[in-house]
Parts: sequence; structure tokens; C-alpha cells
Amino acid sequence: MKQSLASRSIYIVLRLLIVLSVAMMFFPAINPARLTERINRNMSLFTSAIAYNSLIAELGRELNRGWVNETNFVILFISSMIICLGICLACVCGCLSVGNMKCKKRGNLFGLIGGATQAVGLAGILFAYLQMNASESDFDRLSPALTNGFFLYCAISATLIVGSLIQMLLLRNEEKEAVFEIEAKYRVFLMFLPFAALLFIFSYLPLWGWRAAFVEYQAGKPITMDDFVGFRWFVFLVNDPGTQRDIVRVLQNTLAMSALGLSTSWVAMAFAIFLVEIRNGPFRRFVQTLTTIPNFISWVMVYAIAFAIFSTDGFVNSLLAAMGSLDGPGRNYLMGDNAIWIKMLGWGMWKGLGWSAIIYIAAIAGIDQQLYEAATVDGAGRFQKMWHITLPGLMSTFFVLLLLSIAGILNNGMDQYFVFENATNTQRITVLDLYIYQRGIENGLISISTMVGMLKSLISVTLLFAANKASKWIRGESII
Amino acid sequence: MFGKTKQERRDEKAEMLNANRRKFKLTAGDIIFNTINYTVFGLFTLLCIFPFYYIFINTISDNMMVSRGLINFYPEGIHINNYIAILQLREIGNALLVTFGRAVLGTAVMVVASSFIAYLMTKDVMWGKKFWYRFTIITMYFNAGLIPWFLTMMMLGLTNTFTAYIIPGLVAPFNIILVKTYIESIPAELEESAHIDGAGMMTIFWKLIWPLSKPILATIAIFGAVSHWNSFIDSLILMNNAPELHTLQHRLYVYLNRSSNLAAMMQSGGGNTQASAALAGVTNVRVINYTISMVTVLPILVVYPYMQRHFVKGIMLGAVKG
Repeated sequence: MKQSLASRSIYIVLRLLIVLSVAMMFFPAINPARLTERINRNMSLFTSAIAYNSLIAELGRELNRGWVNETNFVILFISSMIICLGICLACVCGCLSVGNMKCKKRGNLFGLIGGATQAVGLAGILFAYLQMNASESDFDRLSPALTNGFFLYCAISATLIVGSLIQMLLLRNEEKEAVFEIEAKYRVFLMFLPFAALLFIFSYLPLWGWRAAFVEYQAGKPITMDDFVGFRWFVFLVNDPGTQRDIVRVLQNTLAMSALGLSTSWVAMAFAIFLVEIRNGPFRRFVQTLTTIPNFISWVMVYAIAFAIFSTDGFVNSLLAAMGSLDGPGRNYLMGDNAIWIKMLGWGMWKGLGWSAIIYIAAIAGIDQQLYEAATVDGAGRFQKMWHITLPGLMSTFFVLLLLSIAGILNNGMDQYFVFENATNTQRITVLDLYIYQRGIENGLISISTMVGMLKSLISVTLLFAANKASKWIRGESII
Repeated sequence: MFGKTKQERRDEKAEMLNANRRKFKLTAGDIIFNTINYTVFGLFTLLCIFPFYYIFINTISDNMMVSRGLINFYPEGIHINNYIAILQLREIGNALLVTFGRAVLGTAVMVVASSFIAYLMTKDVMWGKKFWYRFTIITMYFNAGLIPWFLTMMMLGLTNTFTAYIIPGLVAPFNIILVKTYIESIPAELEESAHIDGAGMMTIFWKLIWPLSKPILATIAIFGAVSHWNSFIDSLILMNNAPELHTLQHRLYVYLNRSSNLAAMMQSGGGNTQASAALAGVTNVRVINYTISMVTVLPILVVYPYMQRHFVKGIMLGAVKG
């Protein structure tokens, strides 16, 4: 099993290159298939390989009139697919390289084939490029050019081929085992690897999108260094009077509603304490079951309910009309920003109270019953037992949840406020998350909303770590 | 772990306490306390379920009476034509199909993937286990935000595709913690003996861990299915150019929002002619909104009794940090 130093270091280089080539598949800025400005700038190599329609999306007119030869784009599409296939084969090589000699030898073969496949794909792109160049007319203005990505992939492909060949030579004389085998620690890791890739794509890759906060973002254009504006958006956020007013107002709403939520977070605990005082088992379960239902419906559905009860011809108004105490048309209680913070708190509690109480109910069940019995013997009344036994028993749970909600003070979520928002209450209901949505998605101000979102994320994560520290300091236990 | 459930133990304790209590006479203070306590909880419970009841009786009552606001406490002139008409609307039928599809498919792949990751995370031999576990869990507390997420989905070409509903939810960190905690409570000897008998990791996972973890898998499946059924933001943001992929909640929102000109729109061909004919009687916008709301919420209410058995366990395990 002993390997020469050379062989091991070459493997490290190869593995790094393979990871790099996989990651590069998802970055549009280095897409080798993007030969012309007319291909959507958001196309990564991976997208080019799976979505032909997006590849030619911006060329509809030219293709229809025959100004542009479609064959070139089909070649591009197929070449992208071939390169992706080559990368997959190279991945197999990388995976097998951690195995025993038999695995390694087979892996080298895969590396060679993978590199060669990539080379074929790249040749296809080169061919398409030459074709485009040759047939360029005045109409199409394709002005094809090879991207940096093309040369990068050429280098990777060449290194793969050369590296695999060297490995084959180095390992030529090694004894081969009878079966394929990979050490347990690498085997488990390799099984996790695809999921790590998914996590990387969906949870870590978006961080790369933060650069939108530092550029002059234009829809459909990629972000390049030419658009770099540094902290201009941050300065704009702080200095522009209109935006400044918006931010202050939004922060006011966010903090006010979070503070209301925080200051009423004990209600769930009280709910639990009083609920277990109900001695009638079936009634207690009945209450617990039915008060939890609202937690499982969406905010849209909550809005539908609010609509049914409080709109112009909802339950409240028909009841008032039936009692004869309503003259004229009914009032729509969902309009206007009267006490909107309290109303939102009310809906939040309606939806979440029964659910948040469950964790306290379970915690009460964990309190030692002997404490209660001893207290009864000593003559403690109902409220004394609640105050001196139940409440202290719940404090640590309460504390953890409180710290977590303090850490999440800026994250109210947008669902609730989005559905209840309308022209008459938008001033007082817009919280940070909703503001980001409105600016970014509705108004298309990508840069500024990314900046706001980024600051929000950074502050939130700082708060979370602070809360964690505080918890360690006070209770000697961390919360995350 | 195979013992009594929390609920049973809690009931037992309450019974014991009750027995103790019965030895003492109820005082006047107790009676007042109980009256207030029962009344408050009774009222809150009523507050929680009455809206569902109200909407429901309005969908099955005579539409004329509904439009005059006469149905407040009990149904009159019961019929189910509203439901028939709504389900024949192509928009709603389609949204139902999409939502149902993503709930089933999304939940299935999430449960398989997340439980498998959880199983891998219990293996101490894994190369860099600590790092990779943190790598997974940290995504729960920290994300780049809405806009970068949207930009990334666009870059990956996932906007306006059904895949966008399924793939990103595949790895669910919170569920991984739940399952991992559960698998760790399974006696290690079981796995060892299976290993000695020559079972590989995959065999152990499918034949041993998977069946033994059924309770927790059911819990995460239910949470997953409910969140898929209720999802709305991803449909709103990612499916701009693919109205055929809008989820039911999204549809409901749109309907609620434009309810004023809804009746007109439906008669001018929101669905097929048969549906239009059926809808001719349903000119009341309220009834339409109510019926769609009911179609949206009914599946939740139907599976709720089954869910209820599982989620207490789930949330308690969740309190145990990973």
C-alpha cells in the first residue's frame, strides 16, 4: 500500500482541480460556452448543458429570420453536456483515488477518459467559435469571443490527462488487490459528498450573490469588476433622505413587532401552566389538540380567515347587521393602520400560542412530582406551587427560547406581513424582510436590497453568537 | 425509547395527582379558579376553531343566504355544488396537482436524504465528521438572504421549473438533528451484530436503521409535508413566468387579493365551459374565496389527528440540541 510522495502529491493536485472544475460549473462568469454577448449572462456551464431554451433565449429573432446559424448553438449545447460528463468522470477518478490500489488504477483510467472527454467538449466549443467567426454577417452582431473559462477548462483538462498518465506510470509496478476497497473513513465521507455539494450550491453559493451589494446591478447582466462601486450603496442607504426615512420606519416596525412578541413570550408559558391545572383529561387534550391546529396552516390561510371574519361582509359585520346595530355598509377591519402592530401580534398569538405551549407542557411533565407532594404536605396552595415549583422548573426552557428570539429580533419573516399588507397599512406593517422583498423583487432594486439583506444577516448572526455566549456565561450551556 | 410515550406518562402523573387531590375537599377558591380556568381555555379553543367552522358552513349553505350574510352559526340549504364548481376550474385543479405532487415527492426525497445524512453523521469514522456536521447545521442559522437566493436560483436555471420545489429542500438540517439524535438512541449492539453478520453500510441503513427509526421518520415526513403544502414564498418569487406551477396557497392569495373582479374573470373563461356553467350560479365572490380556502385547508385538517400523535415527540427531540 505504500505510495511514493510524488504519486500522493499529484493526487492532491488532481482532487483539488476536480473540486474546482465542479464548482466552476456553477459560475456564469467563467462559462466556456458563453461565446457571445447574446447568450444570457446568467448562464453557467451547468445551465448551458441542461437548458437549451435558456441558451438561445435572447436570440429568438435572429434564429427565426435565419441570420444566425442554429447549428452552432446546438453544438455549444452538446459540447457543454460533454464537458459536464467529463467532469463527472473526473469526479469518479477523484473518489476512487482514496481507495486501494485497484481503485486507484481504475480511477486513473477514469481520470484519463474524463480529461479526454472534456477536451472533446472544448474542441466542440472551439469549432462552434470558428464557425461563428467565419459566418459572421452584418445582421447578427454575435461578435464571438473565447472566454477565460474556456482556457481555464483547457488547462484543467490537460492537467487531468497528464496527471492521470503520470499516475499510471508511477503505479505501474504496484501490486493490485483482488477487490475494490475504500477505507471506511473515506467511504462514509464519499457517501456524504453529494449532499455536501447540494448544501454548497443552495446554502453557500448564495453568499457569492452578496457581491451584488457592491456593484451597479443591471438585470440580466453578469456582475463584473467594471460595475464595482464599492460601498456606494451603503453610503446611499445612510445618506439618501428618502431611503433613510424608509429604513428608519421599517426598523421601527421590525423592532416594535419583535419587542411586542418578546414581551408576550411568557404567555405561552402561562398557557401551559394553567392548562395542566385542568384536571379533566379529555377536556385538556381537547383544548391542546384544537389550539394547535392554527400552527399548521399557512399565513395565506390565516389571511383567508381574517378575510372571512373581518372584511366588509365577513362574520363580524353580518353579526352586527343581524343584531341591527349596523347602519350603512360594514367596516373592513383589515384596512387602515390602526393598532396594526397589536393586530399582527394578535394573529401571531392566535396561530402560535397553542404550539409554543407544547414545549412547556412537556417540560412540566418532566418536573419531579415529589416536589408537588412535599409542597402539598407543607400546606402550599395552588398558586404557591405554581410560583415556587412549576415556574422555576420552566425557567431554563423559557430562557433558551427567549435568547433565541432575541437573536432573531430582525427576522420576523415576511409571510405574515406580506399577506396582511395593503395600501392603507403598508407604512406601519412593512418589516425588514418584507422591505427587502418589495425593493428587490417588486421594484427590481437588487443592489440596495442585497445590501440591506446582507447587513441584516450579519447583525443577526452576531446577535446569535452573542446570545450563545450569554447562555454559556449564565447557564454554562450553549444554545446552538 | 420503546417505553411509554410522553403523553401516557403525563396522563399517569395527572391521574396520580388527581388521586392526591381527591383526598382534599374542593374549596370555594378552587371552584372559582376552575370556573375561570375552564372558561378561558374553552373560549380560546372556540376562537381557534370557529373560523374554520364558519368558513365551512358558508361553503355548503345556500349561496343566496350566504351573500346576504345570513349564515353565521349553522348551515342552511346544504349543497356541495360550490366544491364541484371550484374543482372543475382548471387553475385550481392544476394548483392542487402541483401542490400535492411537491408535497409527496419533496417529502419522500427529503426523508430519504436527510435520514441518510443523519445516519452518516452518526459514524465517527467519517473523515472530517465534525467539520461536515457543522457545515450542515450552520445553514440553519445563517443564510445569505432572499435576493442572493433568488439570484442563485436564477443562475442555476431553476426558476420556473418544478425541480426548484424539490431539490433545495433535500437537505433539511433541523430534521437531520432530529433523526441523528434518534439513531444515536438505538443500541449500538444491534448495528455491530449486523456488521459482524456481514451487512454493509447500505444494508444496515435500509434493513435496520430505517425500520427502527420509523417514529421519527414519520414525524419529519409530516413536518415536511405540511411545510410543502403551506409553501408560498418560493412559488411567489421563483415561478413568475410559469403560472401553471403556482402552488395552491399562492392561488388562494391571488384570489383573495383580486376577489372584487373575480366573478367576472371566471365567467370570461378561467376554466372550461362546463365549469363556467356550474359557476354561473356562484356569482358570490365570498363563496368562491371560502370554498378555495376550504379546499386548501381541508387536507391539513384531515391528516391533523394523525400528525398530532407525532409532533410532540418531534418538538421535544428538537429541544435536544444536535
